[in-house]
Amino acid sequence: MVRPVSWLWLCLAGGVAQVTPLQSAVEFNRDIRPLLSDRCFACHGPDGANRKAGLRLDQELEAKAKLRNKYPIVPGDPSQSEVYLRITSKNPALRMPPAYLGHAALSQNEIALIRQWIEEGAHWQKHWSFIPVVRPAVPPLEGWGNNPVDAFVAARLRQEGLRPSPEAPKPALLRRVTLDLTGLPPTPEETKAFLEDRLAGAYERVVDRLLASPRYAERMAIRWLEAARYADTNGYQSDGIRQMWRWRDWVIDAFHRNKPFDEFTVEQIAGDLLPNQTREQRIATGFHRNHRTNAEGGIVEEEFRTEYVADRVETTATVWLGLTLGCARCHDHKYDPLTQRDFYSLFAFFNNVPERGLVYNFGNEEPFIPAPLPEQEQRLAELTARLHQAERQWRALKPVVERQQRRWEKQSQPLADWQPGEDLVLHFPLEEATATGLVAGPGKLGKAVYFDGKAAIEAGFEVAKFDFKDPFTFSAWIKPEAPNGAILSRAEDFWEGEGYTWFLHEGKLRLHSTRRFTDISLRIETLEPLKLGEWQHVAISYDGYRKGAGVRMYVNGQSRELKILFDELTYPFGPKQPFRLGAGAGEKYRYRGWMDEVRIYRRALSAEEVAALSVPEPLGELLRLPKRVRSQLQEQKLRLAFLDLAAPQAVRQALRAVQAARREWRSFYDSIPTVMVMKESATPRETFILQRGAYDAPGERVSPAVPAVLGGWKQEWPKNRLGLARWLVDRSNPLTARVLVNRFWQMLFGTGLVKTSEDFGAQGEWPIHRDLLDWLAAEFMDSGWNVKAILRTIVLSATYRQDSKVTPELLQRDPENRLLARGPRLRLPAEMVRDQALAVSGLLVEQLGGPSVKPYQPPGLWQELSGGKYEEDQGPGLYRRSLYTFWRRTIAPPSMINFDSPTREVCTVRETRTNTPLQALNLMNEVTFVEAARKLAERMLKQGAQDPLAYGFELALGRQASPEELAVLKRLLERFRQRYQQDTKSAEKYLAVGASQRDPSLAPAELAAHASVASVLLNLDEFVTKE
Amino acid sequence: MEISTLEREVWKNRTRRYFFRRAAMGLGIPALASLLNPKAQARQAGLPGLPHFAPKAKRAIYLFQSGGPSQIELFEHKPALKKYEGVELPESVRMGQRLTGMSATQSSLPIVPSRFPISQRGASGAWVSDLLPYTAKVADELCFIKSVYTEAINHDPAVTFFQTGSQIAGRPSIGAWLAYGLGADTEDLPAFVVMISPGQGGGGQPLYDRLWGSGFLPTKYQGVKFRSVGDPVLYLSNPDGFTGEDRRVYLDALAELNQRRLAEVGDPEIATRIAQYEMAFRMQTSVPELTDLSKEPPSTFELYGPDARKPGTFAANCLLARRLAERGVRFIQLFDRDWDHHGNLPQGLPKKCRDTDRAAAALITDLKQRGMLEETLVIWGGEFGRTVYCQGRLTKDDYGRDHHPRCFTMWMAGGGVKPGLSYGETDDYSYNIVSNPVHVHDLQATILHCLGIDHTRLTYRYMGRYFRLTDVHGQVVKDILT
Repeated sequence: MVRPVSWLWLCLAGGVAQVTPLQSAVEFNRDIRPLLSDRCFACHGPDGANRKAGLRLDQELEAKAKLRNKYPIVPGDPSQSEVYLRITSKNPALRMPPAYLGHAALSQNEIALIRQWIEEGAHWQKHWSFIPVVRPAVPPLEGWGNNPVDAFVAARLRQEGLRPSPEAPKPALLRRVTLDLTGLPPTPEETKAFLEDRLAGAYERVVDRLLASPRYAERMAIRWLEAARYADTNGYQSDGIRQMWRWRDWVIDAFHRNKPFDEFTVEQIAGDLLPNQTREQRIATGFHRNHRTNAEGGIVEEEFRTEYVADRVETTATVWLGLTLGCARCHDHKYDPLTQRDFYSLFAFFNNVPERGLVYNFGNEEPFIPAPLPEQEQRLAELTARLHQAERQWRALKPVVERQQRRWEKQSQPLADWQPGEDLVLHFPLEEATATGLVAGPGKLGKAVYFDGKAAIEAGFEVAKFDFKDPFTFSAWIKPEAPNGAILSRAEDFWEGEGYTWFLHEGKLRLHSTRRFTDISLRIETLEPLKLGEWQHVAISYDGYRKGAGVRMYVNGQSRELKILFDELTYPFGPKQPFRLGAGAGEKYRYRGWMDEVRIYRRALSAEEVAALSVPEPLGELLRLPKRVRSQLQEQKLRLAFLDLAAPQAVRQALRAVQAARREWRSFYDSIPTVMVMKESATPRETFILQRGAYDAPGERVSPAVPAVLGGWKQEWPKNRLGLARWLVDRSNPLTARVLVNRFWQMLFGTGLVKTSEDFGAQGEWPIHRDLLDWLAAEFMDSGWNVKAILRTIVLSATYRQDSKVTPELLQRDPENRLLARGPRLRLPAEMVRDQALAVSGLLVEQLGGPSVKPYQPPGLWQELSGGKYEEDQGPGLYRRSLYTFWRRTIAPPSMINFDSPTREVCTVRETRTNTPLQALNLMNEVTFVEAARKLAERMLKQGAQDPLAYGFELALGRQASPEELAVLKRLLERFRQRYQQDTKSAEKYLAVGASQRDPSLAPAELAAHASVASVLLNLDEFVTKE
Repeated sequence: MEISTLEREVWKNRTRRYFFRRAAMGLGIPALASLLNPKAQARQAGLPGLPHFAPKAKRAIYLFQSGGPSQIELFEHKPALKKYEGVELPESVRMGQRLTGMSATQSSLPIVPSRFPISQRGASGAWVSDLLPYTAKVADELCFIKSVYTEAINHDPAVTFFQTGSQIAGRPSIGAWLAYGLGADTEDLPAFVVMISPGQGGGGQPLYDRLWGSGFLPTKYQGVKFRSVGDPVLYLSNPDGFTGEDRRVYLDALAELNQRRLAEVGDPEIATRIAQYEMAFRMQTSVPELTDLSKEPPSTFELYGPDARKPGTFAANCLLARRLAERGVRFIQLFDRDWDHHGNLPQGLPKKCRDTDRAAAALITDLKQRGMLEETLVIWGGEFGRTVYCQGRLTKDDYGRDHHPRCFTMWMAGGGVKPGLSYGETDDYSYNIVSNPVHVHDLQATILHCLGIDHTRLTYRYMGRYFRLTDVHGQVVKDILT
């Protein structure tokens, strides 16, 4: 009995069409499970809560057990099998799957297949990808092939009655492998060298050269960045900027060093938990901080924190396990034996980060670490040493200072008073009443002003414009008569007003710095109230780091204990109200009482400086006091005054050196890049199964565990991310190696051996070459997870090296080239399309790593959707590899998206390619490509002087043009030559596109004509295609 | 950059001859038939079997009012609120509704009624505010759904939910689903076009590419943004010093080389690429022609208002939407920003109404005059409504409203929707729905229905699952259909 078995399963799996039948025996995993999964499991599968009629078909035991007097499946007997009866029922009400499941009808062939399977005994198998990898026997090589890869491919081709293609022409092969392994094309010199190298191993030498190049690491990194949803912004709403490029550079470095993939995994999942972890290992954990984060005011924090953890689970499952675990977030998985409990058990591993749901919109969110580059680290060490040195020198001078000060105290005449003056920006002596409602009278220093609880002093819009990140110090003498009253403000005049207000509230000193009172505000007050009716010196300093912890308040020179009431100063408020004394926080807070000597500084003064401010006695008076009766505060004032006014040059210099070293250290430290990392909270957060996936519906409590169906957990592993990471890359884990080698295959051939590279579950594709996949997986693990080695094996295979030409017959037989009877021919990924144009034109600036760059982008793209302006780089930033392009998630670089780049909002591992008119417009008109055409034309004219067209063709395509091709180019050149000779103005305009200088030695018409031809070269299908 | 029709015809014939010659020489060229008509190849095809049934609407224009317009000021007649002014919102009304972090910690939630007159309009008696005088005049053409609700309470998830059926990024937008399902109705323009107007305030809540993105669908289904500054479509214009005529010659040479390669290596992708370059070339003519409003008669601007002459305004975009509809674009998505009136509503909202009211109504009138309204579905609305209680300070001339997911008003008109209907009802506070609730997924199901699509059957398999716009939810709101 011949049945169209093989034909069928291939079609079902979305793979090759019209491949001739092979086997006659049905194999459950290959032929039946995909059918049952796709058509039945949604109602009769693992999801218990939504299971219909109590029937479960994903488990052998249950599928063959009696259910309401019937047997779903009776091995050997379709006519007794209720499943078979129902799928063949003539009664539409009984027939399965029900018609309302639009996609789900079973074809006659599929029904026949199920029948055959039951007849043959309804044998069950564990899902293939959950079975540990066993290295399969390699079929014998017969004539064709270089290594086991070919042995597997050839065996299949023989079965299919197909023959492999001959090896690709050398130039094509070199271009293919160079693009595949480095993302950039070969130079004509490299092509020449390869063509001339007739010794054995020439190709192997090329491959080894490519793998050793740092370009290889850059090429490998970009797919990993997409999987890791890496970007330079947060990704929600106003999409603020973050800084993760140090993690990106870690990835590049890891690929360059060929870090074994198991280590690569462990460090990214759990580098922070390794014993004696290095900084680099902590940076690696940025992997799981790359997810989108939300800074939108008003969000419910827990809703989004939950989202972040879920993203980590889903990303981990996709990247390492090829499982669609996200499907088990709200209910048990519909197709795979993964429960909701499994989802939340994995969730528990990632749920213990001390993080928030509402993140900071203008930089990295906690936890993050400084991640200096080696040269920065060195510089920081120098600055630290210099600071310590300066401090030591200063301390050493202490006896000198004391001696000199004593001498000064004895010798000096009564002087004018002294107060700290550095960085003082505003001073109100308050010597006279300047408005009705104010009265002048005796004050603490000279006169003071009395406020009557209604009046206030306004000082305009240009003073004390402190925003949320500006440090300041306010100092004043007050004698309050009421417990509520504002000292000063630059804020809307009500309690919740936007801006800053420093005031008395129930006698306590209090600061409000507010953008929006309910959620974007810093509010802090002293624990103890002030005394009413008594002169007191009050001061407040703020260090500009947005946190309540950076605020100090002082009463009479003594630091007071503070209570942080609200600590969410996350947005600028840009004070829009005038500066006021005596008002702020609303009419009830008009100040009543005396006020004197208000001083405003644009930095946080030290405690000593504040102490000095709190001493009302003028210098002369202090000097007259015997030392033993002076208070400590008075001593501090004297010391500072001495240092400022009378210290000898050497002392002053030493002091200035300390201050300068401190400032320099701080400003350099603040400039060091940081990177968000993973960290464990001291107190573990409890994890619950969230009903329907909702953050506010916790159910049963769970602890960290891996999915039960996969198992393989070893007792010695800690129950944390480190254990999880070890489990992911354990030799017994059935998925990780398969999933990874499949993606390597996808990277080289365009489609994985399992086409659904993101899904190795029941709904995923059955691998087209299962033994090959398993062999590669085994080889990968047994080589010590050696990425370069496995890639080398694949690209050295004869399979990879085949010509990519296709005959109409083969195209019809195997349009997607799944059987591999030819080499891959695929449009290049987005980044390569651009990088290649930069490379062949000579514009490319190669520099490994560093902050992201901003190449050309049409003006206004950011503004029309959102805030912020895209500031194009000047110079090298325009010409770096696309890997380094600044990635704003909500408005991604259009010339990347046009060529099917993922948006980096969520983890993406499948490569897709479309072919659209927008791509054509992009290649013809985008500045980079127009400029690249001009620079390529310059190269043609200068370096290829004998035959510029032939040279340009070779530069662009890595092969020699045929005479016919050259003839077309020549005709075109002639036409444009005439055109631009007649209209040199146009030529000059055309040549003015792009920031690079045009070569003045070349005649404009000639260069423009060649640039037009060069642009054609950069637009050829062959140019944007790997052949 | 004008290329004469004649010149194009000449080129096409030459292409045809080239292929006939190749074919006669016995060179196997795949997809030959479609190559003979590169136009047909560039046109985006839909899925076989779609539409599922005869559609009432051939296309849709979605006027998205981003930020969340207040249903209370614009469409709700709630006289009872007058007596509750300043009174705390009763828990019996709020019923534990979660609030945004902006008002959850507000010490008081005082009720504030609308301060703008509202009255019944036209024969249908629909309630429309004086703030929308033009909309009021076309009220009999509109179907007001007063009982729309959502789950999201913040902009990003809420807009994403409306546009993609999911609050979390990664799913295709409505327009992408339609482009995927129905394909394009034109060879010269994309199936799905997006236009944005910032409003006079010049800002408001940001928008994101994902709102017209293709999610997990191939990127060719994403919306093409028509911009008001620079090139209307990114990279549309030839570089300076390079004319349309130059481009034609250039493309001929490019095509010839690509064809040679096709004959050599046999990859049908090359044929597709040739066709895409031709479509790009056609877009270089068709898009400027489309966005050039200079040939519109004065009556057009009398209808849409003088703003329609200013590129980038909502009015100009509405006019362009009509022109796109005339040219067969399947889904035209407008976004108008800055409807987010947390504070300063009495000043901000009238401004937004002035920005949009006249043009939205004009679009209805214009489509009707041209006999296109019957086959064009027009949708108006934001991502959520606004709270009956005041956010921020309630003063005699100022108040604001926070986001409100539980009820808000949208309107639909044209293709397949009953005109002059007000559907659904809310309580005295415009806080809860009391009859005929319409969920976001219901609305999406209804939009697809009008376009001849059964929302449960427009699916795409990704990560092992059959995804659809409406997830596993959505009921077509049959009551509002003709």
